[in-house]
Amino acid sequence: MAASTPAVLRILWTRFAWRHWRLAPVSSLLLLLILSFGVAAFFSIRLANRAAVASFENFTGIITSQSDGIITAPVGTLPDSVLAGIRNLLGSQPVELVPVLETSAVRPNPDDRQTIGSRETFQLLGLDLPSLINLANPDTEAPNWFGTATNQPGQPANQFSPVLENPRAVFISEALAERDHLAPGGSLPLIINEHPVSLTVAGIIPANPKQGAAPVNLLIMDLPALQRLSDKPGQLDRIEFILGESPQRSQIRARIQTTLAAAALPGAPKLMISAPNDRQHSAALMTQAFRLNLTILSLLALLVGLYLVFQGLDGAVVRRRNEIALLRSLGVTSSQIQQAWLVEAASLGLLGGLVGLGLGWLGAQLAVKLVARTVNTLYYSNSADFAPFDLSEALLAMTLAVVASTLAGWRPARVAANTPPAQMAGRAGAVNDPAGKYLSQPWLGLGLIVLGLGLTSLPPIRMAGGGRFPIASYGAALCWIFGAGIFAGTLLAALGRLGGWLKGDSVPLTIACSHLRSPGGRHRLLAASLVCAIGMTAGMAILVGSFDTTMRGWIDRTFQADLFISSDGEQTASSPSRISPATWNAIITHPAVQAANVMQVMEINLDGFSTLLIGNHLAFFRDHAQPAWLTAPRDDAVFDPARNAALALASEAFCERFRVHQGDQVNVPTPDGFRPVTIAGIFADYGNERGSLLIEREQFTQWYNNDLAASVIVSLKPGYTNVDALRAELRAAHPGLGIFTSRFLRGESLRIFHQTFAVTYALELIGIVVAVAGLALTMASLLWERRADLNTLRALGLRRRELAAAAAWEGLLSAAAGVLAGLAASLGLGWLLIFRINKQTFGWTLQTDYPWGQLAALAALVLASATLTGWLVGRWAARLPAEREE
Amino acid sequence: MSNPVNGHATPAAAPPVLTATNLTKSYGERQVLRGVSLSINRGERVALTGASGSGKSTLLNCLGGVDRPDGGSIRFNGLALETLAADGLTEVRRRDIGTIFQFFHLLPTLTAAENVELPLQLNGVDRATRTARVAALLQRVGVADRAHALPSQLSGGEMQRVAIARALANTPSVLLADEPTGNLDSRNGAIILQLLSELSDETGTALLLVTHSPEAASICHREIHMLDGLIAPRPRKD
Repeated sequence: MAASTPAVLRILWTRFAWRHWRLAPVSSLLLLLILSFGVAAFFSIRLANRAAVASFENFTGIITSQSDGIITAPVGTLPDSVLAGIRNLLGSQPVELVPVLETSAVRPNPDDRQTIGSRETFQLLGLDLPSLINLANPDTEAPNWFGTATNQPGQPANQFSPVLENPRAVFISEALAERDHLAPGGSLPLIINEHPVSLTVAGIIPANPKQGAAPVNLLIMDLPALQRLSDKPGQLDRIEFILGESPQRSQIRARIQTTLAAAALPGAPKLMISAPNDRQHSAALMTQAFRLNLTILSLLALLVGLYLVFQGLDGAVVRRRNEIALLRSLGVTSSQIQQAWLVEAASLGLLGGLVGLGLGWLGAQLAVKLVARTVNTLYYSNSADFAPFDLSEALLAMTLAVVASTLAGWRPARVAANTPPAQMAGRAGAVNDPAGKYLSQPWLGLGLIVLGLGLTSLPPIRMAGGGRFPIASYGAALCWIFGAGIFAGTLLAALGRLGGWLKGDSVPLTIACSHLRSPGGRHRLLAASLVCAIGMTAGMAILVGSFDTTMRGWIDRTFQADLFISSDGEQTASSPSRISPATWNAIITHPAVQAANVMQVMEINLDGFSTLLIGNHLAFFRDHAQPAWLTAPRDDAVFDPARNAALALASEAFCERFRVHQGDQVNVPTPDGFRPVTIAGIFADYGNERGSLLIEREQFTQWYNNDLAASVIVSLKPGYTNVDALRAELRAAHPGLGIFTSRFLRGESLRIFHQTFAVTYALELIGIVVAVAGLALTMASLLWERRADLNTLRALGLRRRELAAAAAWEGLLSAAAGVLAGLAASLGLGWLLIFRINKQTFGWTLQTDYPWGQLAALAALVLASATLTGWLVGRWAARLPAEREE
Repeated sequence: MSNPVNGHATPAAAPPVLTATNLTKSYGERQVLRGVSLSINRGERVALTGASGSGKSTLLNCLGGVDRPDGGSIRFNGLALETLAADGLTEVRRRDIGTIFQFFHLLPTLTAAENVELPLQLNGVDRATRTARVAALLQRVGVADRAHALPSQLSGGEMQRVAIARALANTPSVLLADEPTGNLDSRNGAIILQLLSELSDETGTALLLVTHSPEAASICHREIHMLDGLIAPRPRKD
């Protein structure tokens, strides 16, 4: 009876595939590492993204149980008087209301020299502490509830008396207490809004067994104390409601939501009800496009790696064809051979994936800081500095590794299966060359490039939350990369012929060129993988170079005033820190000030998407920020406070996001309903991707009954040149303010800009490293296959260094084809990134600028690496005895 | 002097071009050469015969400077090979030794002409001289019309002719041929043997021919038989 297929597969694996891997440990390990680098890049970015989003959590859940719903105003804050009204509405329903005020605070900046965004940011939660006792879950056995050991649930609130008597009392996390050696009674100096304050540690935030320990940056104060400190007396950010245990819990929740949503409370805005995880969900949505872009970039290394897995398995089929033919002649079926190769490919994916998970987790600890910085700069404050291992992400990465590796092994497996039993001995050039077959078709390359061109005209997909994902443009990028990869093979042949003409008396060059004149699949794949890495890297360099030039111009125009003032607290795009009217009035009435722009910022929702409404002095904006108009206002009405009540200026990102144009009307939500404004002009803005709508500050103040400023921009009187002295004077008078000169802000803006690309640079570097490692693998594989030729050459009198030089020339010329085609592709990819992917994702128009120096450096680096790699592999191969694999 | 077996006249009073004395070589525990001594004169053709595993190819590799013996001495035109460093050995191979293999071992990506040209390039011969020499050699071995063909486009016989032309490109003192007809049909084998014999006579190049074939041995002046790593008397057919 014939052995079953699993039994045959087991034999093929243990007696053949595994032994081949062991016989060639270096190349097996290199292939494994290449794949694992690809998986690691993907896994680390996924973990870092997840950590950055997770850090934006609903902190009240740490204290209470998970709330059942969140009540907010449509825009801005809720008056705390609304609590009584809600309580009346709900009557005797078993529900606890938790009023919350949330703000941020940072460490003070005594030496006045730190860069923006470098100080630790804390989330400050204002809760009604006495009422928290009602929420202590008797089942959780929390005897040390806020450090009050004798308290029991339901006990009167007087155990908080010491805390309530001290308006600076704060509860800190156990992690912070341990890290900073803080104990009750200790002091914690912070900047809240514009106020330097010293808080007193009242106790440790108790751990809620259901929610886990409080994060290190969470602080809790009594609600009225925080309202006073944050200049929001009587205001709440939200009210959370928590239901008691009941079998009809979901029905009760639905009833409450209906009641509240329909309520019209006197003196209060319409109530908005959302699910408890909506906040985290909205943070995830806000950063979705950014994270998706990073994830796609992280796949670059894996894509390059897959070229090489294909190449590695393809090479293995060629090397083992005699063995396969023998096995076929011994009765192993074609299907069993194919399955065995697929198992080998999948095993490679599995092992590479496992190693990649380890490397990826380590990489995530670095990446999380870079991602968190960018999220801080562009979206919201977060303190992610650790990326925990996540099983679902690990499974996704492993699945990707195994599926991708199996797909890469599909074609070689087919070729192996089709090896006829009679095909014994013969030279490599005579066998089926699957990679070469496809990669030597210029028409296929041309077709892919034309298909890519067609895809560039398609619009992006619009995602929930307002993000846009340019999937068609990414498809075009892939088409162009693959198309250019095919043309790289043609270029390789041309370089081989050109080198042949120019070789003179050089034997190494003669030998190298002879291998490239009619390049096989492995050479073509090598060039194609280099095209992939170089095309993407150089394309990104063009995008970043163009961005850099555009940003420099924008920064020079925008930061023309003399001083820029904001809270010295959190300084992110979504910072809640504000400057009080008394303070900003003192500044703008300073004798040295000629003109000032008091800017107010409010996050609003339009059509369900978050964006920024900015109240400022529009004429000052025109004169001192010198906006780059994409569509200039038709007249000066928008700059005249007497005529601009219903007019607005919109950023390009805003118009892209909400698909509006000059003359279109936007309905701005206010506590008193929607206010229509007409877009008078559209300007280029690179400050945030959510977009900004600018209205006159008087309107803003009137609509929102709010005079708190996000920042103040000051222009000094002519002749007042000692800006630094004025800055020092203002800093002394207002130590809680961050006061920056235009020169400092220009430098900082560029620093932050480059910082946001740090992850991108790291991912590109991994792609290049993988491509060069692939070159080493390919050269080693090619030379191993040619070891009989190497012996012949040695017999003919070639020295070891000449053999190494021949390999170096081969590596250099192969890389040159990849570099040339990759750079050509990068011009197209650069255009695609600037005018399609960037525009469709962020809504920013950039001025194209090619960083020729960087591109030349990249080319030189890759060519030098390829030459060195070829030489080293050639030295190794020159010592190869004919009868050994390595 | 004539060979008593095949009747070929041995070159008279020619100086030895290659002398091996008491060569030993082991691979691990296995002793492949166990004290082999031999001498080949200029213009002499010597057949090296013996069963598989008797040490023929190892001896050929040692004599050709591709491998080093563990013990003993090899003098090539008076030069002791064991005293040479790797580069020195390479230099000897490059200038004075031509090698022909059973499987031809033409470099698959070079044309026939380029294969022949390679040793000349290695010796720094100028382009014009190279071109003329390659043309003459290909003409002489009868494949001038296949000069621009790649090895994969040549027949077995053609490939071996090109290999012979390549081996003779630098007018070596000695030609080492490892089963040169082992992969050819009998007609092509006979043509190649005839060619080797003629070229040896024309150029005065010594030929050491490793073979199992009596026909191949018959073109040689004498035959050395190896058995278990030693030179042994040729077994009698009867």
